[in-house]
Amino acid sequence: MAGDVTTDPVTLEEAPPPEETSEAAAMAARLAEAGRVKRLNDRTRMIIAYVVLTLFVVIAIGPAFYLISPAFRDSVSLFTYPPEWIPSEPTLENYRFLFSSTSYVRWAINTLVFAGATTLLTLVTNTMAGYAFARLRFPGRNLLFFVILATLMVPVAAVLAPTYLTVTTIGDWPIIGNWIDTDTYLGLILPSAVSPLGVFMMRQFIQTLPDGLYEAARLDGAGEWRIFTKIVLPLIKPALVVLGIFVFMLTWASYLWPLVAATDNEFRVLTVGIASLKGQFVTDWGILAAASLLTIVPVTIVFLFFQKWFVQASMAGALKQ
Amino acid sequence: MTAVDVPAHEATPDDWAAPSLSDSEYRWRARRYRFRTVRRAAGFLSPYLIVWGVFLAIPAVWGIFLSFNQGGLIRGDPRVFVGFDNWTRTVSDSELRTAVKNTSIYVLIAIAVVFTLAIFLASLLNHYKKGSNFYKVALYFPLLAPPILGAIMWFFMVNFDFGILNLLKRSVIGGDGIRFLGDNPHALLTIVAVEVWRGLGFWVLFYLAGLQSVPEELQAAAKIDGAGKWRRFRRITVPTLRPLLLFALVIAVIFNFQLFDSVQVLTDGGPRLGTATVVWFIHKRLFKFQDTGLAYASSIGLLVVVLILTALSFWLLGKRRQREA
Amino acid sequence: MAEVILRQLTKHFGSVEAVEDVTLRIPDGEFLVLLGPSGCGKSTILRLIAGLEDATRGEILIDGELINFKDPTKRNVAMVFQNYALYPHMTVYKNVAFPLETARMAREEVAEAVQRAAEMLEIEALLKRLPEQLSGGQRQRVALARAIVRQPLVFLMDEPLSNLDAQLRLQTRLELMGLHERLGITTIYVTHDQVEAMTMGQRIAVMQDGRIQQMGDPTEVYDAPANTFVATFLGAPPMNLVSGSLERDNGQVSFRFEGYELAVDPATSGIAPDTLDEAVGEAQLGVRPEHLTLASPDAEGLPGVVRFLEPVGSDLFVSVNVAGHAVQVRMPPDTQVSTGSNVRLAFDPARSHIFGADSQNLRS
Repeated sequence: MAGDVTTDPVTLEEAPPPEETSEAAAMAARLAEAGRVKRLNDRTRMIIAYVVLTLFVVIAIGPAFYLISPAFRDSVSLFTYPPEWIPSEPTLENYRFLFSSTSYVRWAINTLVFAGATTLLTLVTNTMAGYAFARLRFPGRNLLFFVILATLMVPVAAVLAPTYLTVTTIGDWPIIGNWIDTDTYLGLILPSAVSPLGVFMMRQFIQTLPDGLYEAARLDGAGEWRIFTKIVLPLIKPALVVLGIFVFMLTWASYLWPLVAATDNEFRVLTVGIASLKGQFVTDWGILAAASLLTIVPVTIVFLFFQKWFVQASMAGALKQ
Repeated sequence: MTAVDVPAHEATPDDWAAPSLSDSEYRWRARRYRFRTVRRAAGFLSPYLIVWGVFLAIPAVWGIFLSFNQGGLIRGDPRVFVGFDNWTRTVSDSELRTAVKNTSIYVLIAIAVVFTLAIFLASLLNHYKKGSNFYKVALYFPLLAPPILGAIMWFFMVNFDFGILNLLKRSVIGGDGIRFLGDNPHALLTIVAVEVWRGLGFWVLFYLAGLQSVPEELQAAAKIDGAGKWRRFRRITVPTLRPLLLFALVIAVIFNFQLFDSVQVLTDGGPRLGTATVVWFIHKRLFKFQDTGLAYASSIGLLVVVLILTALSFWLLGKRRQREA
Repeated sequence: MAEVILRQLTKHFGSVEAVEDVTLRIPDGEFLVLLGPSGCGKSTILRLIAGLEDATRGEILIDGELINFKDPTKRNVAMVFQNYALYPHMTVYKNVAFPLETARMAREEVAEAVQRAAEMLEIEALLKRLPEQLSGGQRQRVALARAIVRQPLVFLMDEPLSNLDAQLRLQTRLELMGLHERLGITTIYVTHDQVEAMTMGQRIAVMQDGRIQQMGDPTEVYDAPANTFVATFLGAPPMNLVSGSLERDNGQVSFRFEGYELAVDPATSGIAPDTLDEAVGEAQLGVRPEHLTLASPDAEGLPGVVRFLEPVGSDLFVSVNVAGHAVQVRMPPDTQVSTGSNVRLAFDPARSHIFGADSQNLRS
């Protein structure tokens, strides 16, 4: 298998070829000679490196900035040539339209409810389950954990139809069907709170807390719930923040499930709503730009304040494992 | 019962030393006592297990059953058992075949491009540390926007009339614009560009973390030994990243195979199925075309592929951990 | 306050027999020390009593009540851990108050009880600090305060002094004894330090390989060790042991080694004649360094050559080579002796011990 090809890092120490080291003296002379040229080279190289990096930064953030101009002008003026970079008649018409003639505000509220509730639910269920897997001994623990872990990367699309059927089936039941159905908040939220990533993360994190704390608390008369709330939760706050950001970012950006589960405008979220602004045949580009810009700005502001946490959260999915 | 083995220090045991419970009584009570942990575990696990069970585990199993049926997704539409019909059609359906082909091409190109760029940029950032925090944050930026919004931003890059790329092309090179989304294979390549743009920051940070785990002394030692930049990269950096690389590759395949959001908003599979992907196909068949049977079967196909890849990623991870230990 | 009884207590971890058939009774208010090398099972006994481990077999009773199948939260025992196990996110006050708040005690009562415990351990000034802002000795006091604050039935202490420096250890030892005297709570104290055991314990249980080797008050265990393990584990330097054999000649039993012969008289050695007769064969002779004296080369006793001198201020430890065996002798510090000189070793047979082939003391 491919894995066998990998070199053990331990053997790396032998990597530099030994035949060159024997000529250390000759090498030193050559180095000294080349010294002046090399320094110049280093400088040019550094400049090129920073130019390249800056180029990629421009590519990364450029598209967002390029939204500003169309967001504040009449869509028709987009089609003039030569292009008009800075709007000659800046207007808030796009935003007026967005707030008066579309349900942008409704979508935004729905998104906050959807992502917020999913995050909260995920944090509660995953931390509790992580605690059970980390601290409690019960028969079948490892098997159950393995089965749950196997579903770590199950795509939404792969279970889209049966999940949809589950939700509509529950929707047909009396009473509970009023709460869980397509075009309900819970119908959106519950299937979005299934990923076991947090269970896994929390288990790892809780396992790192010293055993003595649990034992001391137990002898102090504290039951599992009290240990969980008074000892464990305060000590894993950083992990909770990281997981919370991760889940929130993932949920509010999600598209496929909300697209299918919330067709009623009253329950649409921003991603689905903004995508629906792009008409089948005619699109008002100015409004599309205005809506996108308005949506990105608050996230960016939050991000700039808490960037360390964000980066940690995005890595949590891949590296923390 | 075994005979009471009187310890040396208690030459004359009093009646206090005699056990009060019979063996069977003891065992029974011990078992009942141990069972309390099961009750507690159930209390802590049930909130997650209920949500996970009802909305992920049961649907996954249900999906297998569905793959032998046709219809029944919309209320009032009857579900019909069709046996292996869906499965035989997955092989022959030309639209699905195109979707699988497109997705595979997309996955290959996107991962090759994004990994090459990411390792290159990560090496630069690892070497030139001054201001690297700014670059990291800036490169991470596209990840903030939902894929849908990222795709919408790219409309303004590639639109035939007012997209900045076409405006540049017309003013610099002249001639007519390029139909980035209206021609093949341009459309799929544009999708690749959008997704590379979105994912690059993540992979740069990923590889940067990997590179920073390369011991400095190793680099320094190689430098003293006169190993050139390229040689050092090939002999030290690449081998160090290799276990990470395999794992990242599997993860990236899993995620990229699910390409949907940007396709749906940018091209909706077109032109002429040029950007049709597997998930796009599943969604379309389920909720537009109403040939649900084929979608049921391909969903399970996707599920199986992802489960296998997940197992592979865990295996790689286990190997890496073993090596570290 | 309570009496603790262990009946045939056994704990296996897989194939490892951590505790094997331990039976003992700790009367109300006693300070018992479990002494033994690391891995002898002493900490496991503590954890079994606390309920942190479940026994494989055997019963644990506190105040006559079987507690094997009672959750640790309800056993009302307090434990002081080796690393103190303070809650890092709580202030000292919160740490000490935690067991009381867990028991849903009214806030004023909690404050009062914490105040009392804090006074007793002189940590009133630290109540608002976090554990990370405390020194090792202060953490130790907080851990003790947390243990005593709810007046448990039994105190369990798992090497509580081992993380302190020597000076502090000495001071805390005395304070622990004072605390026990004041509170009178049954205490089980685990240590591998024989000095701690001798000075603090009202009784000592010496353990090895999961079994209790000997139990008794400190002087008893020291003066009449049940076997060679106890004899060498207690005392610094340890009891001198030489291997030889018990032989019988004309009704007279004697201990022989390396060509020397020492008559063993039932009357002076305190060994029953029958026992002595049965023990003929391989044996070991043991004498504590303080029960040996150096005599001039022409006096009675075993001949030897002085190899090393170790003056420690209060005593002078002399290492003497007797037929290839290094024998430690404790002498007054002003003893005039030099390395290389020939000496004779004399001792009182009544204070020597003979251990049979099974390592058991023949005198018991």
